[in-house]
Amino acid sequence: MSIIFKIITYLIISGVIIAGILLPIPYIPALEDKARVIYFHVPTAWLSVVAFFISMVYSVKYLRKKENIDDIKAYSAAGLGFLFTILATTTGSLWAKFSWGSFWNWDPRETSIFILLLIYGAYFALRSAIDSYEQRAKLSSVYAIIAFITVPFFIFIMPRIVETLHPDPIINNQGKINMDRTMLFIFLSSLAGFTMLFFWIYNLMVRSEILKQKKIITE
Amino acid sequence: MSSLYNFLELNAMYVVLLITLIIWTGIFIYIFKIDRKLSRLEKENKEF
Repeated sequence: MSIIFKIITYLIISGVIIAGILLPIPYIPALEDKARVIYFHVPTAWLSVVAFFISMVYSVKYLRKKENIDDIKAYSAAGLGFLFTILATTTGSLWAKFSWGSFWNWDPRETSIFILLLIYGAYFALRSAIDSYEQRAKLSSVYAIIAFITVPFFIFIMPRIVETLHPDPIINNQGKINMDRTMLFIFLSSLAGFTMLFFWIYNLMVRSEILKQKKIITE
Repeated sequence: MSSLYNFLELNAMYVVLLITLIIWTGIFIYIFKIDRKLSRLEKENKEF
């Protein structure tokens, strides 16, 4: 990745931090200033879905071609997806403390993300339980595909069909985005910045995993 | 002590902004250094 890409990533996220914290936002009933968390919470939740999708795609690819690089890419994406899910849970939980009064309330949103963490936690447990590389790659690829089927249900469907205290999603049930223009601009910039950061870290993870495997082979 | 408390109370937003920016800059430098280290290792790996 070029140096310009990295500098742009740094500048976009720095800009989002400055504008997100300092620029005034319109009065939003019940949310007020706490609504600023969407600049950080929503991109992390969105990127966890992207990561799990990438993991599923490369798992399918591995099962078709049996190339180690696809397993490395699937595994790295799942790891990063897990990290971003933890970040989404943490930012959401902090917000819940100040809006609902406690860090954890077992709201449908919180429960669904918790189950998602368990599902992907089991993916890493499965990988570490199998010694043979080929078998591990094959089984975890199948698991990653099945695990991804649950992602749209837990992230997009379940919170919409049960009653929740969680604010409306960005794209609400009527399929519209109800957001102030300045807020929308900062939000979209944040989405772009975090996505760039995600792909940079993903690139590093894949490269380091390739090096690790080369080292194991040469030793 | 009370003047420090007053300062923090009046400038809470700026204090939060400063801390967040410092943490983000730290994370960026950390990732940047890992990237450079990885590039060096890849180069060494090719030579052998």
